[in-house]
Amino acid sequence: MVALNVLVYPFGRLLRGLLAGPIATSWARLPARGFREVVEIQEGKTTTIEGRLTGTPKESPNPPNPSGQCPICRWNLKHKYGYEDVLLLSQFLRPCGGMLPRRITGLCQEEHRKIEECVKMAHRAGLFPNHRPQLPEGFVPKSKPQLNRYLTRWSPRSVKPIYNKGHRWNKVRMAVGSPLLKDNVSYSRKPLMLYH
Amino acid sequence: MLGFVTFPAGLVMLRSGLGSWEKDGPAGGGDMSSFSKAPQQWATFARVWYLLDGKMQPPGKLAALASVKLQGLHKPIYHQLSDCGDHVVIMNTRHIAFSGNKWEQKVYSSHTGYPGGFKQVTAAQLHQKDPVAIVKLAIYGMLPKNLHRRTLMQRLHLFPDEDIPEDIRKNLVEELPQPRKVPRRLDEYTQEEIEAFPRVWSPPEDYRL
Repeated sequence: MVALNVLVYPFGRLLRGLLAGPIATSWARLPARGFREVVEIQEGKTTTIEGRLTGTPKESPNPPNPSGQCPICRWNLKHKYGYEDVLLLSQFLRPCGGMLPRRITGLCQEEHRKIEECVKMAHRAGLFPNHRPQLPEGFVPKSKPQLNRYLTRWSPRSVKPIYNKGHRWNKVRMAVGSPLLKDNVSYSRKPLMLYH
Repeated sequence: MLGFVTFPAGLVMLRSGLGSWEKDGPAGGGDMSSFSKAPQQWATFARVWYLLDGKMQPPGKLAALASVKLQGLHKPIYHQLSDCGDHVVIMNTRHIAFSGNKWEQKVYSSHTGYPGGFKQVTAAQLHQKDPVAIVKLAIYGMLPKNLHRRTLMQRLHLFPDEDIPEDIRKNLVEELPQPRKVPRRLDEYTQEEIEAFPRVWSPPEDYRL
C-alpha cells in the first residue's frame, strides 16, 4: 500500500510540503492531469513524443448491488475470487505490476488486503507476464532456473529450508495460500488446507 | 459376467492384437459384455500403458494417480498378489509446479551410510540436479512398502520433457486427465473476453496512473 509520504508522482514533493502543516484529511488531492498514453511518431528527421489523453475507463453500468460501499460488494464478489481470477485482479494493477492505492480504487480495508495478497500470489505464479517493472536501458537480466509455483504465500527469496521437520506431534508445516482467503466459498466437500 | 465398464474404451482396440481364433472382438454392438471368451480375457488381463502430462501439476497429485494405476487399484480384479498393475509414463516432469513455498522449504534427506554422509537438499536444488527425482521419490513413497515396490517402479517411466522414445510412444493407450486445473494467464485471454468482463471501479477524472 502506498503511504502518503512515499508518493512517486511529480506533485508528491509539493503535496508533502503542503501537508507538513496541519493535515486536513488524506482525501484532499491536488488537481492532477488525466490518464494519458505516450505516443512516439517519427517523421523524417523530427520525432514527436506526445502524451495523448485517453478516456478514463468507467465502471460498467448496472452493478448487481448498487448500495455496496466498495467495488467488490457492489458486484457481489465478496468471498468469490482467488489468485486465478486475473481479469478482476488486473483492474487494480499499475502497468508495472504494483497495486493502486485504496483511496483511489475505493476498496474497503479487508478487501484491499485480500486483493493485494491475491495479486502477490498471481505474480509469483507467473499469471501477469506483461506487468513487469521497467528495467533500465540495456539491462539484460541473468537467466535464473524457472520454477513453476502457485498459491505462494511468502516471497521465494525470504524463505529458509525446513531442515528439521519435527516429530509427529509437532510438525513444522509448509504454508500454502493465504489465511485472508479462509472465508471463500468452496463448492467441494474438501476443507481448505492452509498448511501442508 | 466380467464386463468392466470402468476400463478405458481403448481396450476395445487392443494394440497387443487379438489371436487368430477371435476375429470378432465385440460381437455386434461394440459393447464389452458382448466380447467372446478370449478377447474378454485379453481385455481383462492385458497390461495397459497410461500417459500423464506433468506440466504445471503438483508432483504429489501426479504421484497419487500414478501409484493407483501402477498397483492396479483401479481394476475390479485387483489382488495384491496377482500382478495386475499397469505401466505409467509421466512426461514434462521438469515443469511440475509446487504449491506454496515448497521449492525452498521442502528438504530431501539422504545418508550415504558413511560417517558425515548426511545430505539435505532443497527441492529446488534436487530438481536442478535431476528433473525426474522429485516425482520418482513421491511415487516411491506412495507405493506399498513391500517387495513389489521395486517391480512397480520398473513399470514407471519418467521423462523430463515431451520427447518420449518411439517404442514407448507406440504402447500408450490412454492419456489420464491432469489432476490440477491450470489457471489461464492474462495474455491467454482473448481481447473479447477481456472486454466482456465488467469493469468494477472507475478511477477519478483527474487521476494520473
